[in-house]
Amino acid sequence: MLKMNNINKIYRTDLVETHALSEFNLNVKEGEFVSVTGPSGSGKTTFLNLAGLLESTSTGTYELDGINVVGLNDKQLSKIRNEKIGFIFQGFNLIPDLNLFENVDVPLRYRGFNSKERKERIENALEQVGLAARMKHLPSQLSGGQQQRVAIARALAGTPRFLLADEPTGNLDSLMARQVMELLEDINKSGTTIVMVTHDPDLARRAERNIQIVDGQVCDFTLYQNNKAATEHAISA
Amino acid sequence: MFFYYLKLAKKSLLQTPITTALMVLAIALGIGVSMNALTLNHVRSANPIPEKSQQLFALQLQTMNKIGTRHTYDDMPMQITYQDAINIQRMSSSTRQVASVKTGFAIQMEDPDFAPILQAARATQSTFFEMFNIEFLYGGSWSKAIDESPDNQVVIAEELNEKLFGGGDNIGKNIYLNQNAYRIVGISKSWNPKPKFYDLNSGQFQRTEQIYVPFSLLPVHEYPSWGNNNGWGPEKIDTYQDKLNSEIMWIQYWVELVNNTEKVDFKHFLSSYVQQQKKLGRFERDDARGTLRNVEEWLEYNEVVGNDSNILVGISFMFLAVCLINTVGLLLAKFLKRAPEIGVRRALGANQAQVFLQHLVEVGVLGLLGGVLGLVIANIGLLILRNQFDGFDVLATMDMSMFIAAPVIAISATILSGLYPAWRVCTTLPSIHLKTQ
Ligand SMILES: Nc1ncnc2c1ncn2[C@@H]1O[C@H](COP(=O)(O)OP(=O)(O)OP(=O)(O)O)[C@@H](O)[C@H]1O
Ligand SMILES: [Mg+2]
Repeated sequence: MLKMNNINKIYRTDLVETHALSEFNLNVKEGEFVSVTGPSGSGKTTFLNLAGLLESTSTGTYELDGINVVGLNDKQLSKIRNEKIGFIFQGFNLIPDLNLFENVDVPLRYRGFNSKERKERIENALEQVGLAARMKHLPSQLSGGQQQRVAIARALAGTPRFLLADEPTGNLDSLMARQVMELLEDINKSGTTIVMVTHDPDLARRAERNIQIVDGQVCDFTLYQNNKAATEHAISA
Repeated sequence: MFFYYLKLAKKSLLQTPITTALMVLAIALGIGVSMNALTLNHVRSANPIPEKSQQLFALQLQTMNKIGTRHTYDDMPMQITYQDAINIQRMSSSTRQVASVKTGFAIQMEDPDFAPILQAARATQSTFFEMFNIEFLYGGSWSKAIDESPDNQVVIAEELNEKLFGGGDNIGKNIYLNQNAYRIVGISKSWNPKPKFYDLNSGQFQRTEQIYVPFSLLPVHEYPSWGNNNGWGPEKIDTYQDKLNSEIMWIQYWVELVNNTEKVDFKHFLSSYVQQQKKLGRFERDDARGTLRNVEEWLEYNEVVGNDSNILVGISFMFLAVCLINTVGLLLAKFLKRAPEIGVRRALGANQAQVFLQHLVEVGVLGLLGGVLGLVIANIGLLILRNQFDGFDVLATMDMSMFIAAPVIAISATILSGLYPAWRVCTTLPSIHLKTQ
């Protein structure tokens, strides 16, 4: 589903160069639920932005659903984002002056669906997250957990193959976080590949696979675990 | 997608009503002022008789001696003398030409209760109506014979016919001009060339006269000129007949020449006329001559579209530019504030072109609103001009092309000013805005 090889991402400002990702390699299989953890500033969001085609890289290869996306133009990238990828952000990022219906409508408009199909999809998606009754409400009239569910509905409405979530539960209390997590698990069961960045070790553990990003690189989890165990063993000994 | 963009535009404009109002007002003021200037200029530079402007020629004669001088750039008088008008007409009778002069009367009706009204009139010849394509509602001009042997006949214009009789066919009825009875032979259709090219002496944009009387009545009733009487040397003028025989220039004179041959022939005739008059002791100057100017040349010669009028248009468009630069600033602030939303849209699949278009549509709506309000402002401005200043009533009116031009200019100008802000929002990286929220 997602194949990244030797990806480098360098942010240049006037003063400094930041190697947000270096020699980054990752392979996510179709239908997987991968959680991504790592210290702050290690490059998790950068990875998601690249994976979601919101930013581009200068080196390396990236294949998404069999398509080599390096070097595609804005229009082609936007089309892939629109059709194949769903985004969920930590800050929900609903458009404040659009009601729930209109928010979920946004990706469908760019998809070019007719109004009947859009309406059906919006209603289904909101149904799925349990908010169909509040279609005409504005985001500000909802709780944080409800807003995140709307964002999930918006990400799902276009039936993407691939869901990218950047700390989707970061702004929620643990109960709400668990509800959102359950929702994501349901979505994954129905076949959608999910990559989720999280700081919450419990949630990370619930995913099928967990990867760690440290200093812009994927840190082999088993290796890391072994090292850690070995170190602990050495200390205790 | 266009309607989706329209919907978003409406939402966005209503979201920030004050900014929207400010922008619309800025555009409207700019458009209003420049439309105002453009209208004045447009009417000024309009061709008052496009179908014939190449065939009608104003005749000028250099009859002055070396001392005499006029304020034209070639020192030619704008009008001619009565004697030259009569002579030229007699000597070149095969050419269509017309002499005329503005005068005026107190009008009375047979009804003794009718309060006399003072009206400008034109003493002219039957050719006037043919040459200037004036149509008739009823009747027609007096006959050519009357141009030779005068009779109290009159043509009145549609508007005056309304005023005196409440309209209708009133051919054969009498009206009283300075207490003399005149028989109505024709009622002409409303005719208001802008500018009033055939006589620019008394207000370039005044309304046409509503009464036409035979020029041949001049010696009979001794009509005074309501325009300029230009003399250039000491002359003893005691009687009206003295004036007719004098060198005073007070007659407007037009010639119709349909092709170049006719024009060349008439020019020949003019120089032979000048030579003949020289022998009689007139036309003293070395450069004594006659000139012909067609309608466009005549308007230019009379500086109807003055430089100042062009400068005014220039200044007003600079004002529009200032208004638009303000709008660019407001738009930029507004659009960039919305950048997080645009980041979301981009993430959800909007491409740059779609984001760009969305913003241009919003700007276009602003432009349309500004254009419409600008039209209102322009018309209020013109209304004030019409009410405050004499001679603006014809000048300061918008025609259809202006009503279309205003919104078109407004929309294109605002879209132009929205290009940069729209480009800015659509080219910034979406990921940056997603993080900031
Ligand atoms: N637009 C940018 N310009 C310059 N540097 C950037 C930019 N975006 C990220 N960085 C830098 O790249 C590195 C990785 O940032 P990133 O946002 O990917 O971290 P993260 O793992 O998501 O951290 P957190 O857990 O705090 O969200 C950081 O050092 C950050 O300062
Ligand atoms: Mg992050």
